[in-house]
Amino acid sequence: MKKLLAATAVIAGLAGLAVLGRRVGRLRLSRGRAAVQLVIRGGLRYAGSAPRLFAAAGEHRQQLRNDLALQTAEDVATTLGAMKGVLMKIGQMASYVDDGLSPAVRRTLSRLQDSVPPMSPELAAAVIQEELGLPPEEAFARWDPEPIAAASIGQVHRAITHDGRAVAVKVQYPGIAETIAADLGNVALLRRMLRITAPAQDVDGLIAELSDRVLEELDYRREAENQRLIAAYYDGHPTIIVPKIIDELSTRRLVTSELADGARFAELANWSQAERDLAAETIYRFTFRSLYDVHAFNGDPHPGNYLFHGGGRVTFLDFGLVKHFSMEELRPLVDMVRYLCVEQNPEGFRAGMVDAGFLRPDAPVSTETVVEHMAVFYDTVRRPGPLTITGDYASAVVRRFFDVRSPLAQWVSVPRSYVILQRINLGLFAILGELTATADWRGIAEEIWPFIQGPPATPMGEAEAAWRAGRSSAAEPVGLGHAA
Amino acid sequence: MTADPFAAAAGLVSRSAAAYASSIPEHPADEGFFGPGSVAWRVSADLSSPVAGLRALHMQALHPLAMAGVDQHSHWRQDPVGRLAATNAYLATVTFGDRGSAERVAARVRRVHEHVRGVDTVTGRAYAAGDPALLLWVHATFVESGIVAAGLVGTPLTAQDADRFVAEMVTEAELVGVPRDLVPASTSDLDAYIASVRPELLCTPAARESMDYLLNPPGLGEDLAEIWQDVRDATVAALPGWAHEMYGYAPPSPPLTDERRAEIRQALGVLDAVFLGEPGVLEARQRIALRARAARPA
Repeated sequence: MKKLLAATAVIAGLAGLAVLGRRVGRLRLSRGRAAVQLVIRGGLRYAGSAPRLFAAAGEHRQQLRNDLALQTAEDVATTLGAMKGVLMKIGQMASYVDDGLSPAVRRTLSRLQDSVPPMSPELAAAVIQEELGLPPEEAFARWDPEPIAAASIGQVHRAITHDGRAVAVKVQYPGIAETIAADLGNVALLRRMLRITAPAQDVDGLIAELSDRVLEELDYRREAENQRLIAAYYDGHPTIIVPKIIDELSTRRLVTSELADGARFAELANWSQAERDLAAETIYRFTFRSLYDVHAFNGDPHPGNYLFHGGGRVTFLDFGLVKHFSMEELRPLVDMVRYLCVEQNPEGFRAGMVDAGFLRPDAPVSTETVVEHMAVFYDTVRRPGPLTITGDYASAVVRRFFDVRSPLAQWVSVPRSYVILQRINLGLFAILGELTATADWRGIAEEIWPFIQGPPATPMGEAEAAWRAGRSSAAEPVGLGHAA
Repeated sequence: MTADPFAAAAGLVSRSAAAYASSIPEHPADEGFFGPGSVAWRVSADLSSPVAGLRALHMQALHPLAMAGVDQHSHWRQDPVGRLAATNAYLATVTFGDRGSAERVAARVRRVHEHVRGVDTVTGRAYAAGDPALLLWVHATFVESGIVAAGLVGTPLTAQDADRFVAEMVTEAELVGVPRDLVPASTSDLDAYIASVRPELLCTPAARESMDYLLNPPGLGEDLAEIWQDVRDATVAALPGWAHEMYGYAPPSPPLTDERRAEIRQALGVLDAVFLGEPGVLEARQRIALRARAARPA
């Protein structure tokens, strides 16, 4: 599933990153200097030349079954109609809740991913023609008719725009949006399928939330909007790179963004632990800065959606599954972390859980038990100082989440709004665990927590603080800091 | 004779899938009796095929001598899942295998049929499985069910394609030993033939028990059992009114709405996804798709 779901798993980087990569040791030793360098590097963002990126994207081309390419809209309907596209999307979302799925269901969902071949060059060109009014060879200065990567309901092509930018063009399968939207209407069938996958959940709420997210993902304009917002927020960030959207080449079924290239997650296995730690720190900062500052969470924290450039620089791809939170939705989460980790107020923590709808108000369970059960989710930020996130920790979190034998199991549930946040536990920590990443997570969290906004805890934190200080106040989103 | 209880249906999907996957050849010597452009290939791959299969079994079981042959000789009650998987394997080989393979499996079936003889306890009539009249009933109801199920919950065939399908399938009847000139070669001949056999039909206890079992297979597993309800509804809806009366099924009233048919198609899609999840099925489908691709006009 992962190979094919790596959506826009292509994309790019900067000239000169290798140099930065070699400076990791110094970055650790000499904080101030490294921070300055990081800020300078931020300005080099567009140094990569279009032809080089275009070529690199071709070299990283995914192996797709072109011999079985979908040639017509009917082929698309046969392959992804009759619930299969919906199952595939659910499979994508469920890829982090493996423990909640039976082996048979997991295998089915994974095989479904494998069963979807790419569109033929002609079919993809027909979609471009319909969306832009021009054949791809005219809409772009250069167009590669063979896709470089599969996406769950589309595929990615590399191209160069008339004004010379190397871009990734995600093209949606024709007819798929209508099919999936119709199939999502069969709530009874979805309920049957999901009941088995979600032990401690309000299944109808889960279905409603998944349906909303899938429906949003069908309209690429929404994805472009999310990526535009997040790219604008992180513009100039020392380590977080979000490719910019090319507005005039993005439509309901096309999303065109800057092409990026970099190391894939699997390659990090050969990187030094120091590099892996920096990459992990950036992913961590991205997740929680986005949540607390942009009030948005990318629900697809998938290894295929990251490209690594060394020195902690990471490109973030694919914003099809972004959940936006209201202040009201975020506040209980902020309260919970504050009461548990900062103010040492277990009753306040419990009240926050009830307030958010995680815990039933009448649950006949002692607050001690509640804290004991929930604390594992906060283990990384309960105490200051360096801490290593291991694969064992990540699995323990997942096991605890799905532990139906826990004394809390019958009194807790995940309200609809927060369904997607499970991926912080099940996706983010799985990735950090795989990197066996060490950092002062508490120190980093304090930088980000709106009720603390602490001083930089790491060299990257210093670079980030410098970047934040340099941002115009107009770009600053409404924070929760003083409101909470 | 006392009827044995039926064994549980656990493994229905996995054993059928294994039988199917191993019957789709990697390197066929030729394109077989039908070939990539045939309607037979299309119908066989249609989402409606589980409904077609169940409907065909319902129709076939109403012939008391055909039912007796199955009930008295095969391991139908001890291993119904194995019996269905074997049928699946046979059909897949005849449809997608090369001619040599199709002839080999057909010859094996003809040999087995030679030993299937007896007396039906309900009608007192003697039967022989190799009797072309019985083989033709089994054949004709299978072909008709493919057309009806595709029309109800799959991709409907045009009248022209339906005629072509019936004509293509004459070869399949011939393979199991029905003389070619006895086999209906158009939909109108097919309908006339089925109407002509109706006076011989009877819903025996064995037929009723067998179909009860197929519509509510025990041990299917909770999630699959719920999907099976939709398969069952579609199967019953696909049967003719006279078959409803014979089985004592309440006819679906009103007939399936478009909305209900869409729901059933969705359930069939899930069932197909489960089938696709079984080892080897995706690869088998890809082998078929590649052959179909190669045959498409460029």
